[in-house]
Amino acid sequence: MTTYPDKPLRTPLLVTISVWQALFLREANTRLSSGRGSTVWLLGEPILHTVIMLLLFTFLRVKVVGGIDVLAWLIIGLTFFKVFKNPGTQGQNAISANKVLFTYRQVKPVDTVLVRVFLEGFLVLLVILIIASAAIGLFNVALWPDDMGMVVLAFFGLWLMGLGYALITSVAIDLIPELGKIFNIMMTPLYMGSGAIIPLSGISEPYRSWLMYNPMAHGLEVARAGVSSSYHVILGTNIAYLYECALVAIFFGLALHLRFQTKLLTQ
Amino acid sequence: MIIVDNIYKRYQSSHGPGKWVLEDVSFVIPRNVSVALIGRNGAGKSTLLRLVGGVDKPNRGTVEHRCRVSWPMGFGGGLQPSLTGRQNAKFICRIHGHEDDIPDRIAYIQDFAEIGDSFDEPVRTYSAGMKSRLQFGLSLAFDFDVYISDEVTSTGDASFKKKANAAFKDLVGRSSLIMASHGEGTLKDFCSAGIWLNKGHAHWFDNVDDALKAYKDSLKL
Repeated sequence: MTTYPDKPLRTPLLVTISVWQALFLREANTRLSSGRGSTVWLLGEPILHTVIMLLLFTFLRVKVVGGIDVLAWLIIGLTFFKVFKNPGTQGQNAISANKVLFTYRQVKPVDTVLVRVFLEGFLVLLVILIIASAAIGLFNVALWPDDMGMVVLAFFGLWLMGLGYALITSVAIDLIPELGKIFNIMMTPLYMGSGAIIPLSGISEPYRSWLMYNPMAHGLEVARAGVSSSYHVILGTNIAYLYECALVAIFFGLALHLRFQTKLLTQ
Repeated sequence: MIIVDNIYKRYQSSHGPGKWVLEDVSFVIPRNVSVALIGRNGAGKSTLLRLVGGVDKPNRGTVEHRCRVSWPMGFGGGLQPSLTGRQNAKFICRIHGHEDDIPDRIAYIQDFAEIGDSFDEPVRTYSAGMKSRLQFGLSLAFDFDVYISDEVTSTGDASFKKKANAAFKDLVGRSSLIMASHGEGTLKDFCSAGIWLNKGHAHWFDNVDDALKAYKDSLKL
């Protein structure tokens, strides 16, 4: 048997970093190679969604929403909602998908969630870049941001919100599996009420203010305002609100992971 | 040295906490002492090995490692079924911080496991014997002071058993073993001390023969 020279003990930080690297490659591998459709669908789903919604708006003879072209408005809303949704819903199942790997003491439940959310954020960024360049290049849609900083701010805020959501729901589902169904049902009103596909400007007060409690609505509005300076932002939009919600969710999620770590590892 | 202090373990069932599997278990495994874990089916051998390996946590009490302890080999644990043997092996190399010498270790694992082309097939297509071959190779590819074996040799064929025995012999002096097995010969060959698990309690014997005798006496009654 070959023997290897002993390595000095690694610091906890180094162990965590190597676990993240290994998990990232593992996750990327299964996410992109499982089934023929997985890679195509990553792009195909938002495109198909956009086309269907565009047809609907065309039937309704809507060409402009909030002062910008309806196609640009739709693409931003649909793809940027995914910045929250994909990391959130994929991260929610990270623990159950990686249960076998807890055989290795180095791997903690929170690692699987963090890595998955990171990977999904990266993938959704690729999707946005591809769709945006295709839309600009092929259909001349005005998607080149007037204010890149605002778009990045919105992207990052939505992604952080997805991280917080995933951290909380991953623990909750592991402890009470029935909650998984409730979280899935909750996602639809969050989506419909976020202004991703239904303009919130068409909704009368006081109901619109109620919908603005949805932090994602603020992220989407800011993303649109960043792309086009002529976009009429809905009154009360405040990016700080999105970040506040995200930070609260992340802290609460991390606290849950810390509190229930043993329980998540125990069978 | 591994110090197991006063541990209690029970599993959560669908209707509240189950019965205690282990109660008030305490022992100290000194450096370089190989221990046989003996007990009837369902006595809690696998549970104890998982606790000692740090995979599961006890409800009460503590397990302290003062050396490098492997993960428990056996029962297909620790292999992601959708990934191939090679991908699993790479993952384990990476989390152990051996990014730089992955090819060496993969070669060693592949050579030890001798599962041929199946090394590049998903683990879910493996038979029980193939899984234990792979798992055994995986843990031997890393230097540990204590290896934990949960019947890892029991599903293997004759040639694998021979190979495993040779590998265990090779470890003597450098590392020690904690093994659960129903093969009396294997236990006697490799272990000097024994732990007999009975009704949730652990009894330590400095000599493995005494442990086996106590176990057999309990069966006669």
